[in-house]
Amino acid sequence: MLIKRSDAEAVRGGLAASFAALSSGALDRRAFLRRSGVAAGGLAALGTLSAGTVKKAEAGPMQPGVRVELRKNMCTHCSVGCTVLAEVQNGVWVGQEPAWESPINRGTHCAKGAAVRELVHGDRRLKYPMKLEGGQWKRISWAQAIDEIGDKMLRIRNESGPDAAFFLGSAKFSNEGAYLFRKLAAFWGTNNVDHQARICHSTTVAGVANTWGYGAQTNSYNDIRNSKTIVIMGGNPAEAHPVSLQHVLQGKEKNRANLIVIDPRFTRTAAHATEYVRLRPGTDIPLLWGILWHIFENGWEDKEFIRQRVYGMEEVRKEVAKWSPEEVERVTGVPGAQLRRVAEKFAKEKPATLIWCMGMTQHTVGTANVRAACALLLATGNVGGAGNGANIFRGHCNVQGASDFGLDTASLPAYYGLDEGAWRHWCRVWEVDYEWMRGRFGPPGADDATRKRMMELPGITTTRYIDATLLEPVKDGTRQLAEGQPNYRAMLVFGHGGNTVVRMPEAAAALEKLDLLVVADPHPTTFAVLHNRKDNTYLLPICTQFECSGSRTASNRSVQWGEQIVEPIFESKTDYEVIYRLAEKLGFANEMFKNITVRNKVPEPESVLREINRGAWATGYTGISPERLKAHMKYQRYFDLVTLRAGADAPAEVRGDYYGLPWPCWGTPEIRHPGTHILYNTHLHVKDGGGTFRARFGVERNGVSLLAEGSYSKGSEIQDGYPEFTMAVLKRLGWDKDLTAEERAVIERIGGNNVDRVSWATDLSGGIVRVALEHGCSPFGNAKARALAWNLPDPIPVHREPIYSPRPDLVAKYPTRDNFMAHRVINYGRTVQQLAVDRNIARDFPIVLTTGRLVEYEGGGEETRSNKWLAELQQDMFVEINPQDAAERGIRDGQWVLVWGPEMPKGKVCRMKALVTERVGKGVAFMPFHFAGWFMSEDQRRKYPAGTDPIVLGESANTVTTYGFDPVTSMQETKCTLCQIRAA
Amino acid sequence: MNRFTLTLRTALAVFAICLGAATLSVPNAVAQSAQPVAPAAAHEEVLFRYLQMQGSGTVVGRVTIPDQKAATLIQPGGREFQETWRGPMKWIAAASIIGMLVLVGVFYTVKGPIRTTSGYAGRLIKRFRSIDVFAHWLTAASFVLLAITGLNITFGRYLLLPLLGPEAFTAWSEAAKVAHNFLGFPFTLGVLLMFVLFLKDNIFDKTDLRWFAQGGGMIGHAHPPARKFNGGQKIVYWATVFGGGALAVTGFILMFPFQIVTSIDGMQLTAQLHGIIAFLMIALIIGHIYLGSIGMEGAFSAMWSGKVDLNWAKEHHPLWVEEIMNPTRKDTLPAGAKGAGAD
Amino acid sequence: MARMKFLCDADRCIECNACVTACKNEHEVPWGINRRRVVTINDGKPGERSISMACMHCTDAPCAAVCPVDCFYTTADGVVLHSKDLCIGCGYCFYACPFGAPQYPRLGNFGSRGKMDKCTYCAGGPEADNTPAEYAKYGSNRLAEGKLPACAEMCSTKALLAGDGDIIAQIYAERVSTRGYGSGAWGWRTAYKDMVSG
Repeated sequence: MLIKRSDAEAVRGGLAASFAALSSGALDRRAFLRRSGVAAGGLAALGTLSAGTVKKAEAGPMQPGVRVELRKNMCTHCSVGCTVLAEVQNGVWVGQEPAWESPINRGTHCAKGAAVRELVHGDRRLKYPMKLEGGQWKRISWAQAIDEIGDKMLRIRNESGPDAAFFLGSAKFSNEGAYLFRKLAAFWGTNNVDHQARICHSTTVAGVANTWGYGAQTNSYNDIRNSKTIVIMGGNPAEAHPVSLQHVLQGKEKNRANLIVIDPRFTRTAAHATEYVRLRPGTDIPLLWGILWHIFENGWEDKEFIRQRVYGMEEVRKEVAKWSPEEVERVTGVPGAQLRRVAEKFAKEKPATLIWCMGMTQHTVGTANVRAACALLLATGNVGGAGNGANIFRGHCNVQGASDFGLDTASLPAYYGLDEGAWRHWCRVWEVDYEWMRGRFGPPGADDATRKRMMELPGITTTRYIDATLLEPVKDGTRQLAEGQPNYRAMLVFGHGGNTVVRMPEAAAALEKLDLLVVADPHPTTFAVLHNRKDNTYLLPICTQFECSGSRTASNRSVQWGEQIVEPIFESKTDYEVIYRLAEKLGFANEMFKNITVRNKVPEPESVLREINRGAWATGYTGISPERLKAHMKYQRYFDLVTLRAGADAPAEVRGDYYGLPWPCWGTPEIRHPGTHILYNTHLHVKDGGGTFRARFGVERNGVSLLAEGSYSKGSEIQDGYPEFTMAVLKRLGWDKDLTAEERAVIERIGGNNVDRVSWATDLSGGIVRVALEHGCSPFGNAKARALAWNLPDPIPVHREPIYSPRPDLVAKYPTRDNFMAHRVINYGRTVQQLAVDRNIARDFPIVLTTGRLVEYEGGGEETRSNKWLAELQQDMFVEINPQDAAERGIRDGQWVLVWGPEMPKGKVCRMKALVTERVGKGVAFMPFHFAGWFMSEDQRRKYPAGTDPIVLGESANTVTTYGFDPVTSMQETKCTLCQIRAA
Repeated sequence: MNRFTLTLRTALAVFAICLGAATLSVPNAVAQSAQPVAPAAAHEEVLFRYLQMQGSGTVVGRVTIPDQKAATLIQPGGREFQETWRGPMKWIAAASIIGMLVLVGVFYTVKGPIRTTSGYAGRLIKRFRSIDVFAHWLTAASFVLLAITGLNITFGRYLLLPLLGPEAFTAWSEAAKVAHNFLGFPFTLGVLLMFVLFLKDNIFDKTDLRWFAQGGGMIGHAHPPARKFNGGQKIVYWATVFGGGALAVTGFILMFPFQIVTSIDGMQLTAQLHGIIAFLMIALIIGHIYLGSIGMEGAFSAMWSGKVDLNWAKEHHPLWVEEIMNPTRKDTLPAGAKGAGAD
Repeated sequence: MARMKFLCDADRCIECNACVTACKNEHEVPWGINRRRVVTINDGKPGERSISMACMHCTDAPCAAVCPVDCFYTTADGVVLHSKDLCIGCGYCFYACPFGAPQYPRLGNFGSRGKMDKCTYCAGGPEADNTPAEYAKYGSNRLAEGKLPACAEMCSTKALLAGDGDIIAQIYAERVSTRGYGSGAWGWRTAYKDMVSG
């Protein structure tokens, strides 16, 4: 008989019961409101209540009666750091619940976060190690895989030296994984180690660190709630960081803030803007100078801020004077009146924040773009306070942490750089001999000087692995690869897609030339199929971060500890274990894991983090102990939504802390520094997370002081600028007597016969840091931010046209830099740009091509395109084209089109769908960069190991993109090249 | 214009063609006005109206999934469809079907069956070939089943559900739905066959004018003269061809939803047309069944054995009888000729 | 007694599709069935708005009115549910639904459809609450656990509101008065013959 839910039965239901209580006012009204999405204000005065009142599930979704365990981890997609709350029954991840307690996402997710459970279920994951044998994928055991890979690597090392191998790491590693991978490269003996930050925010890190000290977001997503003017330039957080929009939009609503979006494309973010500025791709510097022109012209700059805290603003003023509204409009296409409006708001309706992403960074002038953005913030005094700052939204879930831990060609962990001091510091932390370490570097049989040179020479970046493999080291007397650098022969790719770097047709050739290719990833990635290799190619199944524990650093520097949700599925293993096994095979596991607990060949992440705590003084990762992080995850609900600080009601373990101990979290864990929510914030005591601009570049230049003038953080005993703290500085201040005997002993051991040179960053006792804090001082000093960065190729940013400019007429006036060697590889940018002008490329390729993200996919996209819940939402690669351009070409919305670029082989085209839309202006096309598996019209599905092909395949945007690299970081140009499109 | 009146008008227009009286003209549903400029920051009302003017009353946007039906955000037409469905549609159905039953009943009570006045001659003449008979019964049988299974969709919920209970009614309805889908094919074949087989005898001519003038014999006492088919039968023929054809076309559209007709409005209209035409056809066919069975002596055998009694034929189809008896005769009547049995 | 409704604040919605995948995840909805979707109107132009749409659980639901087998019912919370045991997959509810909510798995021959599937407001179906049978047919029953629909709970910008109609209307009205603008509660007029004043 039919059982319908009658009224009576419905009342029996739990909800009805709750609501009966609602009307009587007894309930859980608060829990209900929270679940209804209440924000701040009014009704929502109740909004920040403790989630302890939320009723817990009594039964799991599928197995009634089986106990549901709740486990917390973080979303592995973007850098916002959303907490994922997993329901686990019998070791199976059966459901996801909103993580209400997280102050970052407050229960919410984007499409990717709400679908992460499928990543762990995914039947398209790589299930066991495989290798190519005569062009066929064959299953092998882990032991065989590690053995064969190790033997081949050792042979290459013996023949060509350690620099013939490239260690490509991942922003998907946990902090501990990233740190171990960097250490693996160091112990192997190369600086050829990199990760996605290279193609993401490397230019931001370089630009920002060269301005005020650290390469990181100055404030946080939550802090944007304080802003009165929000400018988003070259970023589309609505798709790339959707949960950040919760903070942006609620801030906008509460403060009735200006939300100005500057982008060539009318994005989903722009749809919510109060003002949208459409500029020509690649003209960010003229646009920023155009804004500053109005600010200087009208005297809107913050003169006192500049006097106290900025060095070299006069030089900026001189460059800006060249950018009259007329010239700006000629170059960028943006009318002067609009920029005047933007300028006035940014300078006068404060606090104002500038948010940027890849639209600023992925250019041949990426670092200069970032520097110009910093100049705008400095000129208006919009750094170092609540609601302002450079809110750089980073890309992957742990791209900040992976950068911090030196998955970088130019630095050891924590931005110590590569000089001898840095190596000696880390050798002390690792307890290995500096000379032994040096002996690991350099070509076979090299002398110590050569080894030291290679040890300190920045390695080759991921953007240049193609050239490092294909270019002859010396051609016609021109050195194309740095002295001592052989061609790449082996590549170890951990968690990185093969479609992320420009010039894919050439990438295919480079991959074919390698003697060894190892891809360690949950999915086979494009690296497994792009080429036509027959042998010496290995796939290692790595589990996701949900299948292991460890910490990850969100964009705002908050570090969160993720719990293992389920055991690694199939035969997959954690990054930690695979790195250990490789180190063991390569013969240095004992040295590398000297101070790290390893069980069953699996290093324990807690013990790795403790080693980091012992060494990463320069970024203040020293106070971030695993115990503190776990307490933060446990007591998430006590952290304030806006200030991120745990209030007086919080348990003692976290009371007063900022959520996730955003670095710098000074000193040892024992001194309980709360972390630094907002960098360089002089309104707070350093012990409360206050700070100053970092004194990183000396104390004076050409007779001008580089130290702050009359500005200091709250409670500082030195009420003026001061240099970074060393033993010498402590002594001069007479503060060295505050050091304990143990601290002094450690310092003396490190300093040897030159104790004065031991600094806050190399003092393993933490004494210098502790004493500086006691006196209210930033350990790294108190300097001016540099509007003029004399050590960069363009000390003041100048406009340079893209390599493939749609305006050849402007190239003569604004050419790119001359050819030069950087990161061990020559950059032929100037030659390519001149050829493009001479051959009139802009006539044959009249459409500017820019690329970007889709909300459903992430990065190279293998993981997300294999997720059926996400893949269903974007089933075809497409190119956005303006209706006018489409009409001229007879292209209808949704039809197939052919796209090709100036560097593709003649006659080859990419096939994708047209999306005819006014999102892009006339003459501009946009492609998402997540697709792969089709290569110049060829469907490569058959090349994936059976059953591991992603559900959705498509042409990669980077098959069309072209040459062009930033001089400082070798960042690639993906946001501005040329292409041609026609109907298929 | 109200959606329902539009539907009705269209339905009537279609039915008019069935009667050969009018040509189909589907009126343009939406009066296009000059396109306004998109309001930048508008309130729901303004934005909604603007968007409605872009399409035909629905709000359509962009979705990334392939199912383009999903791009329709709101189609208030659904409400109207629903109101039409449970209101006027049911009344039309009830009125036409019950109306016809009542009419037939009254006719039978008042006039009784139409008899062959001169009695049976005992001599049978061939009226229909076996293929004709096959085509007729193929169409007739499938039509009856289609009508029953179709009416179930409209009235089953009210008439059968209370009797059968939900599970049994669902089982029956599900079977009925499958049967309805499959029977569409034989029905379509039958209609096509009949169209081809009976076409030449169903062209309207002057004879039919007189037949109609006399109301097919209802006015006065004489049988108006008719050839193989009289005016009434021709109406049934053309109604079957056009009405059945329209049912087939709309039926197939409904069977392959959003594949032939791609818009939701189109599908709604199709569903409503299919229903209304079906109701009218059912009514008509009830009349036809009456006249072909108990309503007229001697008529049934025509479609049963293919043969009819000579006298019956002479009374009802004198001109046809003359044609087959004397195939060389001209097909115009001599002046002053009277129909057999006219006295 | 609560009257459950959905309200999508178009000034917050960013088409992130969290609601869509949260729904897929919560109920393991198969490929091709879209219980919830996000539609962007005026795409690429000033005035662009995205709106998340699913079954609105209408007052006087049109689907229920046209259903030949009367398989719909409205719970005490105002949630419109249906019985897959009774549904015959005729498709009439799709014609009647103003929001395109009903979805049909494609079955064998020609356009024939399987039993209708749609948003349940995370309230399951006629089976006993949170039983495997209920989960298999309709997905999980969050309401019975005292939770609200997963889509709204996980909405990235808290654009999608779910809960008692009066409360969410009040939340929305407060938002509008705080920020000074609001493009309306999409679909309310059609679903509930009601509008939230902005």
